Amino acid sequence: MTSRLRWIAGLILLLSLTLAVNAQTPKERFLLTFVPNIQFAPMYVAIEQGYFSDAGYDVALEYLNEPDVIDLVGAGQVHFGVASGEQVIIANANGRPVNVVYNWYQQYPIGLVASVESGITSMNDLKGKKIGVPGRFGASYTGLIALLDSARLTESDVQIVEIGFNAPEAFCTGQVDAAAVYSNNEPLQISTRAKAGDCGDVSDVTVIPVAEAGAFVSNGLIANADFIQTSPDKVQAFVAAFDHGLKDTINNPARAYLLSASSIKDLPLAPDFKARLTKLADEQNVLLASTPPPTRDDITASRAALRETLHKDFDATTLLQFNVLLNTIEMWDADVPGTSNLDAWENMANTLTAMGLLKTKVNLDRIYTNEFVPQPPASHS
Amino acid sequence: MRMPNALHPSSSFPTKPKRTFPLSRIRLYWRFAVPLLTPLAILLAWEWLTSRAVYPAFIIPPPADVARAFIQAVSDGTLPSALWVTLNQVMIGLTLGGLLGLCLGYILGRLPVVESLAAPLIVAFQSTPVVAYAPLLLIWFGSGPTSKIFTCAVIVFFPLLMNTLVGIRQIPASLKDVFRVLRATWWQTLTRLELPSALPVILTGLKTSATLSVIGAVVGEFVSAGDGLGTLVTSARYQYNTPLVYVGIFSMTALALSLYLSVSLLERGLLRWQRAAH
Repeated sequence: MTSRLRWIAGLILLLSLTLAVNAQTPKERFLLTFVPNIQFAPMYVAIEQGYFSDAGYDVALEYLNEPDVIDLVGAGQVHFGVASGEQVIIANANGRPVNVVYNWYQQYPIGLVASVESGITSMNDLKGKKIGVPGRFGASYTGLIALLDSARLTESDVQIVEIGFNAPEAFCTGQVDAAAVYSNNEPLQISTRAKAGDCGDVSDVTVIPVAEAGAFVSNGLIANADFIQTSPDKVQAFVAAFDHGLKDTINNPARAYLLSASSIKDLPLAPDFKARLTKLADEQNVLLASTPPPTRDDITASRAALRETLHKDFDATTLLQFNVLLNTIEMWDADVPGTSNLDAWENMANTLTAMGLLKTKVNLDRIYTNEFVPQPPASHS
Repeated sequence: MRMPNALHPSSSFPTKPKRTFPLSRIRLYWRFAVPLLTPLAILLAWEWLTSRAVYPAFIIPPPADVARAFIQAVSDGTLPSALWVTLNQVMIGLTLGGLLGLCLGYILGRLPVVESLAAPLIVAFQSTPVVAYAPLLLIWFGSGPTSKIFTCAVIVFFPLLMNTLVGIRQIPASLKDVFRVLRATWWQTLTRLELPSALPVILTGLKTSATLSVIGAVVGEFVSAGDGLGTLVTSARYQYNTPLVYVGIFSMTALALSLYLSVSLLERGLLRWQRAAH
């Protein structure tokens, strides 16, 4: 055998081995939006704690734009993803067979952030103001319209400025008086910058949540409709694993933050902060293991205490992402996390219809299901 | 009386001259037909693919759906308005970036010292993808058209700079010597030697820049929204209107192609002397 043939045989062998290794570990792609972020902590926790592998899934996370997530799930190329409720309604109206199987966010996360200097303290102060949105699409725009509608204002009563996904920069450079943003995230970033004197004339911010205008369906786990029909057991197992991760995050945010660090490269985690979080996470585990088990109110109080404790010892920049997590947990927490209600879907569909984004009637009952949401064990009192 | 010539019967019976189809005309038709063959083949393959439902219609919509979306977007003014906005940004960006590239390319071509000084900075700037710093442009210039025009100008600048530089550098030294011996002024050298000699290369650069200019403007629109073809595509994506996404993409292609053809026509006009010389 010539040396060239030996090389070729070696390459073929190497290729075969690579294919064999890959064939042994089929990955379940899970599509998230934008970039790795602490707001996806339940996913990271479920992966790190092995809940997905216990359910028979080897999950590979991918981050895409929301329409791409919906299209890939709708086309059946991927089984699961995350998308906002209003996108799911519009997508279904345009032929995408995707359903929400777990209503992750119980509150609509969009809010209007305004500087304290702008004089905007309520929806009624918005008239004539310059309001930034990423574009005339997506959850931020829909949330803004819902907010304006609740104040009996229309788009023509304000000046909408399309600023892309650059709200903090546009806000701090004075291009807008207010901006529609994820209220659990950007207001904290802007506030931290403002307090550090790094946000132009802004000294602090105020937030008007869209949730004040009513209940609107928000981000949830989506699955391909055909996959739900053909493999309900697999959907059930996936949702249960995610639910486990979500509940762990709600119950022990310090542990969730630590577990998320391997998935978020630039997550602030200085050694002293890490040591402190580890200690607090262990203490929280003791609380969770206590008898009788802590109630939901007890756990909510423990999160408030956690925030207060950390604020005494660490600066705002170190705590920024942890505070984002704590704020976001309040949007997930519920007696039965993951449950959808029809009113929230109807409110959203009505808003979309008024905006002209929903031109056909959609059967909302068939867009979501609570069938896979794990129910709490029945009490025996 | 002139006798009919047996050997040349046509000369005695005047008939309508036989219509011939000259080879040159066939060649001309063929030349115009060939570029249409590829799009036609793609269209047929596309129609075949959608008729077989290989992919769902929301991934690859049938050509008829795209045609309907096109008619709708034209009739309700969405497409002309978006096209006009992008075209404006492209033309301003192309003019500014092109002129800057031309002037700087000329200076660098004439003064190698300046090239040594500026080259690292220019190459570093050019090798950074525009999308990476496009969000910064929003902070510097706001969300209006300026950021998009700047993105466009940046992207068209480099090809024209490089081609002008190469065009100026490739002028034979013997010709330069002739102008020097004849004591030609700077203006005479520029207009009678440098520009005519470098023009073919500069126009090639302009062709590249013209097509890239659409990318520049659209990148700006994708980053900071507003209006234009990039925004049309983004909005259509979030409305799950795939046929309209296709309309937006084809419009961008058509715009880039029109600009390329315009420069090609300009090239034909400006370089007529060169063809005549050959």
